[in-house]
Parts: sequence; structure tokens; C-alpha cells
Amino acid sequence: MIPFTGRAVSGALHVRPRPTSCVFRPQNISRLSTSTIKSATALERQEQSGQHLTASGKVRKEVPLPSQEKKEGAMQYVLTTLDQVANWARQSSLWPMTFGLACCAVEMMHLSTPRYDQDRLGIIFRASPRQSDVMIVAGTLTNKMAPALRQVYDQMPDPRWVISMGSCANGGGYYHYSYSVVRGCDRIVPVDIYVPGCPPTSEALMYGIFQLQKKMRHTRITRMWYRR
Amino acid sequence: MSTILRTLRNLRRIGFKEYGHQMNYIGDTKAGTLIGTDRYGNKFYENMEEELPLRTRWVDYKEHEYDPSQIEPGWHAWISYMVDTPPTVDKALQTGVRAWELPEHRPTLTLSRAAFKTYSTTRPKYSAWTPVAAPR
Repeated sequence: MIPFTGRAVSGALHVRPRPTSCVFRPQNISRLSTSTIKSATALERQEQSGQHLTASGKVRKEVPLPSQEKKEGAMQYVLTTLDQVANWARQSSLWPMTFGLACCAVEMMHLSTPRYDQDRLGIIFRASPRQSDVMIVAGTLTNKMAPALRQVYDQMPDPRWVISMGSCANGGGYYHYSYSVVRGCDRIVPVDIYVPGCPPTSEALMYGIFQLQKKMRHTRITRMWYRR
Repeated sequence: MSTILRTLRNLRRIGFKEYGHQMNYIGDTKAGTLIGTDRYGNKFYENMEEELPLRTRWVDYKEHEYDPSQIEPGWHAWISYMVDTPPTVDKALQTGVRAWELPEHRPTLTLSRAAFKTYSTTRPKYSAWTPVAAPR
């Protein structure tokens, strides 16, 4: 599972200085041509400008980890406890909006059957988007279905989360090159958890739900509000 | 199955401290024999006589943010009832005897800062330009 939409780091292996023949090649061309070379990749910009850039193309900036940030004052201790209570309430009664589109939906149904028994985790499938907090997108999202998916997502109340289940929902999967399929449901809705597989097993989906609960546990609701 | 009598019986065996610990982790009161500890630090228990089938083996996780991937492969086989004997007894399941093994157990790093992120190792096939509008 790749939890967050990571930006592809292009040319990460090319940070080391290259052989001289590669370095001087663009310069020779630039002598011949009148237009300047401005390439898209951060690496080549770094070579030209001499500025110290990271692989993602931004200037390097040191930010403390959330675990390294110290709590200051009694207020933040109180808010931590409040967050724990709210997160506990959130993570222990997930009501998923089932967006079953294809064969992944069968595995999602298996999660509710007695073998995996999602009810013991407080997970109850809710057919109404207005009373659910998680949307499990299970299956191929076609172009025709995409407006409906977005509408259902917009009808869900905050806070809401999305689990993208299966290859087709993650990135188009088998139907990636089809003319009628959305290449990943993260083009339509923001996705929290990606569950890989074709289809993922019920255990994989359950593991994804555990990861989502872990993500909820570490959400700093009131602390972020207080900091602002 | 949790009945009042079973809870009280197991509470008498394990004590209040362990009772509170188990209610925080597995949500049940269980008494059994400690079979072993894996390299990660998880403790594995077994009670073949009194517990129901498929509830006879359980794990006491080391970390509070527990995750099934923290269980080592051999112990995973044991706790999933793939094998009868624990890795402390079974030669084939023991760790640290193969050359290609990692020196420590590494759980799944998803949803952490060490999670795998895809990256490209090839040069990009095209590059964008910054458009410059000519003065009019």
C-alpha cells in the first residue's frame, strides 16, 4: 500500500556527477543554437544554475518531524487528549460507503461475511453517502461512472476518507489504456489509502482499513486548529 | 467465548496488571503458556486445552502501534496454524541460519516516512520550456 500520492522523483539516480562527455553535450548544442536550453527536470536545472535543489525541484528546507515538535503549555496537552478521544470515536465506527464497481466488490463483500467479520471492528456498510465516512472504491472506474462517484463523494459529510481498492481503482490497472476508463480514481477524488491487488484479498482490504485507522489515530484535529 | 466465570478464572491466573494489558491489546482475558519471543520482541502464547479452535494461539505485541507484519515469518506460520511446532523447536523455521537473511526483522513500512515511493531511473524523454512572450 502506498499511502500518500507520492510525487515521482525523476532522475534520482543521476544526482552523482556524470561523465564529462554527457555534461558537455548540451553546451555544444547551445553554442550552435540561439535559444537557451531550459529543461523540465530539476536535475538539469541544478546543473545549469548551480543552485542546490532537491530531486523534486524545490529548494531544500529543513522541517522538524511531527514527532520532534514539542508540546508547549498545558493547552496542547489538553488538546492531545481531546484528539485522542475524537480519533478513537472516529476509528472505531467506520461506516463505509460501498462503491462496488467490479470484482473487487466481491472481495469487499467477503470482508463483511463471518470469516473476516467487519462488524466486530465497528464497520457497517451504509448505502447512503450522507451517513457514511469512508468510501471504498472497489473496481474499475469508467468515464461514465466518474461524475456519479464525485457526486457521491461530495454528498458525504466531513470528515471523510477514501480507500482505493484494486489495481483498476488505483491507476486504471488492466484497463489503463482503454478509451473509457479513468486512469485511477485519484483523478476524481482524493484518496487516503491505496490497496494493491487484482483483486486484493479481503485480508489486504482489512489491512488497508487498519492503515486508515492508524492514519486517523495520528490525525491532530484540534491541535492543528489551535496552532492556526 | 467470554463468560464471567472464564474471565474470573483467567484473571486469577494472570493477575490484574496482565489483565489490563490484555484488555488494551487483544480485548480478551487469556491464560496460556509462553511459547517464545521472536527477534522483534513479540511474545507468543498457547493454550491448547481450554480455548476454542483457532483461538488457541495468540500474540502479545511488543509495540502499541501493533501490526501483523511485525510478526516474524516463522512465528507467522506458527500462529496461522500452518505448522504444529514453533520456530524454537522447528529447524526449518529458525532465523539467522541463511546467508541471505536480514540481520533483523523488518516490518511493513507503509504509512511511515520510510515507505516506498516510486521513482524513475531513466532520463525523461521530453522537457518543457518556459514560454517567453515577446513585447508587442
